Amino acid sequence: MLHVESLTASIGGTPILNGLDLDIGSGEIHAIMGPNGSGKSTFAHALAGRDGYEIGGTVTLDGVDLLDLEPEARAAAGVFVGFQYPVEIPGVNNMYFLRTALNSVRRARGETEIGARDFLAVAQDAMDLVEMKQDFLHRAVNAGFSGGEKKRNEILQMAVMEPRLAVLDETDSGLDIDALRIVASGVNALRGPERSMIVITHYQRLLDYIKPDFVHVLVDGRIVESGDHTLALHLEDHGYADFVNHDLDDTPERPLSGAAR
Amino acid sequence: MTAISTADDQDMVAGLTYPTKRDEGWRYAPHDVLRQLSFGPPAASTPPLPPALGAKIPALNGPRIVLLNGVVDPALSDFGALPAGLHLSTFVDARREQPELLASHLDNNVGLSADTFTALNIAFGQNGAVVHVASGHTIEVPVQIVDIALPDETGGASCSGVVIHLDDGASATVVETRIGGGDFGGSNTRTTITLGAQASLDHIVLQDVASTQVHLGHVDATQGAGSVLRAHLFNLGARYGRVGYDVCLAGEGARAELTGLYFGIGNQTLDQQVTVVHGAPDCTSRQSFRGILDDESTGVFNGGIDVRPGADGTDAEQSNDNLLLSDRAEANTQPRLEILADDVVCKHGATVGQLDSNALYYLRTRGIPEAEARRLLIGGFADQAVDTVDNEILRTWITERLRRHDA
Repeated sequence: MLHVESLTASIGGTPILNGLDLDIGSGEIHAIMGPNGSGKSTFAHALAGRDGYEIGGTVTLDGVDLLDLEPEARAAAGVFVGFQYPVEIPGVNNMYFLRTALNSVRRARGETEIGARDFLAVAQDAMDLVEMKQDFLHRAVNAGFSGGEKKRNEILQMAVMEPRLAVLDETDSGLDIDALRIVASGVNALRGPERSMIVITHYQRLLDYIKPDFVHVLVDGRIVESGDHTLALHLEDHGYADFVNHDLDDTPERPLSGAAR
Repeated sequence: MTAISTADDQDMVAGLTYPTKRDEGWRYAPHDVLRQLSFGPPAASTPPLPPALGAKIPALNGPRIVLLNGVVDPALSDFGALPAGLHLSTFVDARREQPELLASHLDNNVGLSADTFTALNIAFGQNGAVVHVASGHTIEVPVQIVDIALPDETGGASCSGVVIHLDDGASATVVETRIGGGDFGGSNTRTTITLGAQASLDHIVLQDVASTQVHLGHVDATQGAGSVLRAHLFNLGARYGRVGYDVCLAGEGARAELTGLYFGIGNQTLDQQVTVVHGAPDCTSRQSFRGILDDESTGVFNGGIDVRPGADGTDAEQSNDNLLLSDRAEANTQPRLEILADDVVCKHGATVGQLDSNALYYLRTRGIPEAEARRLLIGGFADQAVDTVDNEILRTWITERLRRHDA
């Protein structure tokens, strides 16, 4: 479904992604872990279409070349990126924003727009999912939200947008244990055979709640190791030391279970 | 020094000179444009109102007085069935019936000491509207004063006035809509507000004269103890659109909240000159002005807080936030603070920025096309001023007007 091949990204001549390869099948959840500065967030934004990167390589979603598309067209193609730092937009009503987003994507796909009343039902389901109160919809987008509310709002948007591919960039950062449980159960409820997810995280903790099919280790802009969820447990115990500055042909000191893809 | 030319040489205007760029309050005005205006007493007859211009008047459900080229037009006005406590009249009637209400407005001792255009307004603005609310009455319906400029080829700027007088404990909403069409020229309006103790006024100015014209507006307010003024300015039209406020908090515990939004396109210059005088203890003032400036437009905010000796317990805040949509647009902001009392809280801040590229990107990742994302962000910036208006019909009028502006 998602095919990433030799993806490179640099900013002002400084390389960040150095030939990233990744294949994700329909309905799979892939976790990407890595130390600070390894390129995790850059990967998320390269998929979303942020300006300012020099990009090389190939990224296709269901055969559609994403790299040529503007961010809004990628969203219409089914990409959703949950931000590590959701942006505050004072003065723009959350409900209006959500409906505009959904209808923009529908318009781009040639589908009919959703009316205000039908949308309310969609929004209500999404709010229930992340345990949000009604007033949440009438506040400005993320403005004055707590860290946990911002992340819940990302999952709420994901529930409304129903993406084909969700990329969750450090959705667990800054969450207390209750917020983490809500966010994770929201994500789990949105799992489905037609939806794939990339869960980017620094810590194994999130993966206790969202069990990935595959775990990849990203170091220096490349995937250096892949495995099943036990790889995350190994990282929890041993850190990234095995992978940092190591030669790619080296074998980790302990054999890893799970097949690299 | 260039002498003003007027249609007739009254003593009152003899010797008046144009302001220059050296005058602090006139630094950014297009002086060449101002010098093309002519002033004089209202013409004997007024042209008919073009329907397109009439359609610009917000359809509020309340009484209204319409002034066309500085003269009250009875046919366009609607004095209707006025609620108890509300008295609406023209200057002509008020001179006969309640001359005391007009006294300070028409006090020509201001003369040469005030600015030139105020002096011209006093000399030629012999007509206007008077809104008087008797003690203790709350008027629910909005009162609308519409000032329409329809100049001919002589470049005339009509002069008119509005007097709003709320007795103790009275409360009302007054909407001043200022529009214009036809040739170059414009309007020069002056509003005098007097609030008795515990009185409460919502005062809204919609400035939307034609983009070739000039609007010079000035609001003087004097507030009694415990009174509340909520002033909302939407400065949108005109080649040069200027609205000044001089608010004097004269009674203990008075409160003034001044909100403004200016949105310039093309070569517009939109100028707000604000001074709030804290003349009594324990008064509160808020000035919150937002500018959106596109193309080669210029925005000016010159805002003063003047805390007089003895005005202890003053709580004053001022903010001016500008959004530049073009690299040729310009925002000029000038805070003036003079504090001569103790125990004063005085805050001011100004920002000039562009659309937040992170916010733009965030919206686009949610499928919202760039042009619409920009409109959404601009609308969000403007709404923080628009939302201060309670009347829904007015909010809709303003929102639709802004949408035409950024389309």
